[in-house]
Amino acid sequence: MAANSTLVDEPCARHLLHRLCVLLVCLVWPLIWVGGLVTTYDAGMAVPDWPGTYGYNLFLYPYNTWLLGPFDLFIEHGHRLLGAVVGLVALSIVVSAFFRESRRWVFVLTIGLLVAVITQGLLGGMRVVLGDRTLAMVHGCFGPAFFALCAATTVVTSRRWQDYMSARGQASIGSFVVVLVAMLPALSYVQLILGAQLRHVQPNAEPAGFALIVAIHVIVAFVLWVLTILAWAKIRRCGDLTLSRLAGLLIGLAAVQIALGVGTWVVNYGWPSILAWVPGSAGFLVRAKGFFDSIIVTSHVATGSLILAVSTVLLVRSLRVRYCRSSLKEQSATEESKIENYTSNQSLLEPVTT
Amino acid sequence: MRNAALVLFVCFLGGCDARIERFQPNEVFSLSLAKARSTPTELAGKDASRVAQELYGTPDEPLWPESPAAESVLADKQNLFRSSGPVSSEKDGTHLGLFREHCVTCHALEGSGAGPASVFQNPYPRDFRHGVFKWKSTERGQKPTRKDIRELLGKGIPGTAMPSFALLTPEDLDALVDYVVFLSTRGEVERRMTAAAIDELDYGESSPGGELTLNSRNETEGGEVVQEVLDRVHSDWADAGKLEVKVPPFAELAGEDLAASVDRGKAFFHGQIANCSGCHGPAGDGSMPTLDYDDWTKEYTTRIGLTPGDREAMKPFRDAGALRPRTIAPRTLQDGVFHGGGDSASLYRRITQGIAGTPMPAVEVVSEPNGKGLTVDEIWDLVRYVKQLSTLQ
Repeated sequence: MAANSTLVDEPCARHLLHRLCVLLVCLVWPLIWVGGLVTTYDAGMAVPDWPGTYGYNLFLYPYNTWLLGPFDLFIEHGHRLLGAVVGLVALSIVVSAFFRESRRWVFVLTIGLLVAVITQGLLGGMRVVLGDRTLAMVHGCFGPAFFALCAATTVVTSRRWQDYMSARGQASIGSFVVVLVAMLPALSYVQLILGAQLRHVQPNAEPAGFALIVAIHVIVAFVLWVLTILAWAKIRRCGDLTLSRLAGLLIGLAAVQIALGVGTWVVNYGWPSILAWVPGSAGFLVRAKGFFDSIIVTSHVATGSLILAVSTVLLVRSLRVRYCRSSLKEQSATEESKIENYTSNQSLLEPVTT
Repeated sequence: MRNAALVLFVCFLGGCDARIERFQPNEVFSLSLAKARSTPTELAGKDASRVAQELYGTPDEPLWPESPAAESVLADKQNLFRSSGPVSSEKDGTHLGLFREHCVTCHALEGSGAGPASVFQNPYPRDFRHGVFKWKSTERGQKPTRKDIRELLGKGIPGTAMPSFALLTPEDLDALVDYVVFLSTRGEVERRMTAAAIDELDYGESSPGGELTLNSRNETEGGEVVQEVLDRVHSDWADAGKLEVKVPPFAELAGEDLAASVDRGKAFFHGQIANCSGCHGPAGDGSMPTLDYDDWTKEYTTRIGLTPGDREAMKPFRDAGALRPRTIAPRTLQDGVFHGGGDSASLYRRITQGIAGTPMPAVEVVSEPNGKGLTVDEIWDLVRYVKQLSTLQ
């Protein structure tokens, strides 16, 4: 780790670290897509062994068998390969942080990333070895949390993080707004867990329990949407576009996610009676394992993760703005008191004239 | 914190899935029987469930009874192993645990139609355990053929949550057909054994014991009753193909001939014999209010003298797993969506057989007009009118 580890923000050459974090984010979202497809196609057990693939080392499995074999094998082995690449990138982030990052807490954060990706791999592996549906659900819930962590790490390693202390530090974020913004990732994650419960439902689950989860999932979806609108309304004039644009993006993402949620229900269970007025719903035919249908379901999963990551970024940036603001206030207050002291001292030193 | 870590560790070692060691007993039927016979059925239901497990195994390890009648029911016993158990797949892409992959969320492990997602569906998913199926080519009271179930899986049911499984391989579809037959047979045998235990073996507050106890060995009186039930249910399935409804040739008409036929059909639609408009409405839009229920619901409501809207009376049944009673509505014939297929042959069968398990009655086929039934030509007139109605929207 670089010397002078300190909480004080200082501009330094952290380009490589940040770029690696960006690469990680760009890899993890597709990884979530592929993982979602694995669940949608019930392909989680397409490769029964772990960490190898049918006795081969993960990286040495014959590529022609992988690419030209059954679709289940293609996506499951592809998911593992991509996961391994993500692990390697996380490892290189830790190495990069060790040499380039002066802030100790950021280095610890990168270690957290590595631990998280290893844990996620273990969860996926144990899900396969034990053939356990509940562990598959835990694996499915941990993935988005890891994605959000990657996004947060990317934010704190960015050049902008330093800029907040200067010009951007002038934006104003109240404590109510911070609480409001903090509710977004919290509720997003609650939604992810509820969705995972529905997606990985146990075969002997009670209808009443399933219905309750569906009801909460739907209600929280609209509550979350309203909260994104409220957050945007509070943030849009804060003077920082990196916050207000993100808040606006969240409104759109939440709306898309609700539409995808309806689509997911429709392709799984047909049109609900509440939407029976939709033209064509009376004759709609659900098609099991249709590719288009699977993409709708999987994009609902992936968009949920994206909402969690974006709202986490918004929260981290908001906290940063608030922190910078209070630091600057303290700094200016100190300077003012110094000036006052200096002025009063000067006045005491002035000779009394008559 | 320490407890949470311990739970996580245990999960890592042994998995967290709830164990599925047996099919749940049919408690709703036991309760209905208790009310109908005015006698406790708990012991009978328990013994019937035990014997059903001895005969048919568990959701993870299904068995198929050895008997001459049972031999010809399934296409391949191996299909039961492909369809049962947890979801997994082979290296060549073959899927195992097909029922849990495709069906269990709606139809439940036992095929009770009370799966986790069942409450959101209208109509409710089918309870296979009654052995009653709506969409088939056989006579109303008979079992469907394997081909009927296979076609239903392939085509799905438009306008409901029942998907089309046309994208599955033929082997997967065959395996699912066999598993549906397995669940239906197992469930019906369990029901009939429970009823026979009360009616023939003197089960009540106490078990009759000895020779009269239900068992899967054919050496005692209890064993003979079980064997009779098995033979009956398996024979019904084995003989289903012999009881297909023959559909006479349908003449495609055009112009004035078609118009005249449709006019005659309209008269039958509103007439006293078929009286379709009595439920489907004069315009065929399903607008007539009804307070009727399907047979699956009637079993634990009106047939045993209970009011479906009486929450207090329904509570024990709901607690035992029964779905909330819901009235059955006559279909609109105007939207061109026929759950059981809209082709001429399917409509002919539906008119002449009705729909099993529902209030939809059958129209008697007569050779000469006699005021009690319709001739084949008259039924075709009615079919043409119904088809013409479906083009209105």
